[in-house]
Amino acid sequence: MFIADIRKDFYEVVANQRVVLLVAPDIDALCACKILQALFHCDQIQYTLVPVTGWQDLGTAFLEHKEQIKLLIKQDDDLSVPSYDDIFRDEDEEGEDSGNESDEGSEPSGKRRRFDEGAVERRIERQRAKREWEARRREILFDYEQYEYHGTSAAMMFFELAWVLTKDTKDMLWWAIIGLTDQWVHDKITNMKYVTDIATMQRHVSRHNHRNEDEENSLSIDCMRISFEYDLRLTLYQHWSLYESIYNSCYTSCSFKLWTLNGQKKLQEFLADMGLPLKQVRQKFNSMDMSIKENLRDVIEESSNKYGMKDIRIQTFGVHFGFKNRFLASDMVHATAALLESAEKDDSETDNFIKALDALSRSNIDRLHSGIALAKKKLIAIQQTVASCICTNLILSQGPFLYCYLMEGTPDVKLFSKPMALTLLCKYLLKAFVHSTRNKRCKLLPLVMAAPKDVEKGTVIVVGIPPESETSDKKNFFGRAFEKAAESTSSRTLHDHFDTSIIELKTEDRSKFLDALITLLS
Amino acid sequence: MDASEVEFLAEKEMVKIIPNFSLDKVFLIGGDLGPFNPGLPIDVPVWLALNLKQRQKCRIIPPEWMDVEKLEEMRDLERKEDMFTPVPSPYYMELTKLLLNHASDNIPKADEIRTLVKDIWDTRIAKLRLSADSFISQQEAYAKLDNLTLMEINTIRAFLLDTLNCMYKLRSNLQ
Repeated sequence: MFIADIRKDFYEVVANQRVVLLVAPDIDALCACKILQALFHCDQIQYTLVPVTGWQDLGTAFLEHKEQIKLLIKQDDDLSVPSYDDIFRDEDEEGEDSGNESDEGSEPSGKRRRFDEGAVERRIERQRAKREWEARRREILFDYEQYEYHGTSAAMMFFELAWVLTKDTKDMLWWAIIGLTDQWVHDKITNMKYVTDIATMQRHVSRHNHRNEDEENSLSIDCMRISFEYDLRLTLYQHWSLYESIYNSCYTSCSFKLWTLNGQKKLQEFLADMGLPLKQVRQKFNSMDMSIKENLRDVIEESSNKYGMKDIRIQTFGVHFGFKNRFLASDMVHATAALLESAEKDDSETDNFIKALDALSRSNIDRLHSGIALAKKKLIAIQQTVASCICTNLILSQGPFLYCYLMEGTPDVKLFSKPMALTLLCKYLLKAFVHSTRNKRCKLLPLVMAAPKDVEKGTVIVVGIPPESETSDKKNFFGRAFEKAAESTSSRTLHDHFDTSIIELKTEDRSKFLDALITLLS
Repeated sequence: MDASEVEFLAEKEMVKIIPNFSLDKVFLIGGDLGPFNPGLPIDVPVWLALNLKQRQKCRIIPPEWMDVEKLEEMRDLERKEDMFTPVPSPYYMELTKLLLNHASDNIPKADEIRTLVKDIWDTRIAKLRLSADSFISQQEAYAKLDNLTLMEINTIRAFLLDTLNCMYKLRSNLQ
């Protein structure tokens, strides 16, 4: 259902009813869910929360709650939608057409000839218009279904709803910021969009910050303070040691080529250039000398410019509450994503979902810290896998795309049976490959990656990402491509994820699926 | 009596709020709560104030005694005197905790207030312990303590009564 005014058409409709919230397993959806939950608590609206992992889950959940459902609210990333009128022509136009034709039959014969010509011309005109309209419709539908990309963050949309209802709090603002940062961390939106959205959020942040602060009556230290930061792009650096963070962050690792010995030497040079002693840099960030921490960002920025990393700093937001707790938005995204997809044996998916949801509230700092620990492990695993893939040349060029398959014995391969982790690995790998290869043509190819998903059932999970480029608009055509390839080879696939470029495939069908994909895309 | 029961009783105290919604007069068993008009201050019990605050429907105004200078004076007075001085409110400890946990953004200088109230509490509990100690060691039969609050009495009640029972048993066994 497409809504024009979110307050009138949505909130006021559900305000007096029982709501079922079906939430997709991604951080943006989780944040939107938290915002909506807070709004529901304010107005004491009863709701049921159902996490869904794919279209099938959505179907079963819908059937379970069928009797009570009148309006379906699904939180997911928006896919850009063409305007309503272009696709669905109003039905009464059709009726008019046939009505006219029957009228013509009953005209008196005297005027028939003149009317006939006029009528025939009009009919031809109408038919031509109709054909053109049909053709345009097909084109629009093809475009719509061919590419998949993401629109505005759902969390931000719900924050705007809260703002319109004047029930917005700093907590909700922080969740909206996390939702936006999730889209950027997982590379779902373009840089331009990210910067524009950050500017919108910045306006809200300054509005909140000026509300309560006064020179005389300063706020309690326990209150949440959100601040705009032009901070470094090193993942989790404030909760890790600086060295580890530089080593395991995608941006720095690819620029230095840290999987080669040369790259590691360059890293040592870089640190020496900044005047940071190795002993300091390998310590936990909080225990580093204050004198080093003070100008760290500027010092790193200067040095990175010399080494060709122009964008080491990125606009983002940080929060701090209490004396100890300081987090950047990207830290929270990584921690929550690690919790959501933790590959522990005993946890079911709903448990992980609830844990990740809990980690987003301020009162569960322990959960958040455990998430950060898991995220560190995940990043180290990604770095090592990338290094081994590049060094052992596991990436093969198949013509129209690059392909990589993670064997079953690879360490941490269980971590990569989850869609978000695998996508992150994929993007990281593609960046690293583009930096390491000398083949100009290969630099512009997209990447398809497969990893074992379930050993007993014998399935692999396949992910496709668009080619790496500075100005990409992040449109992904693999969804359609996978569907067509599966159809043509009648491979047993499951297109269950909301993100259509991720599918599950039976291991035996892997090679014929790949061949079909190659022929399709070349 | 449990500390949470004392807190429950404390929630009946009245506090001033400024609602942002409007509602007609509400007739409850415990009393009437006057018509709510957005922007006009009104007195409500603490339990309702906290509920409305959590639903973002009001702004809580700190009680008059919850002010840094007044609390500093009280703390200094408490430290000087040997006896218990009059308290700002019979439920000062619980109210401080409740209001500062849920509405610290409406209370200026919340951290200092928390420290000052804790200082007052510590001084009074120390005096209470000394007094109980001298009561037992001098085997008094009667003691009069003014200006104690229910929460302070509650902290010492179970221990003091059990101790006195034990001592009675020991004494009667000796004879």
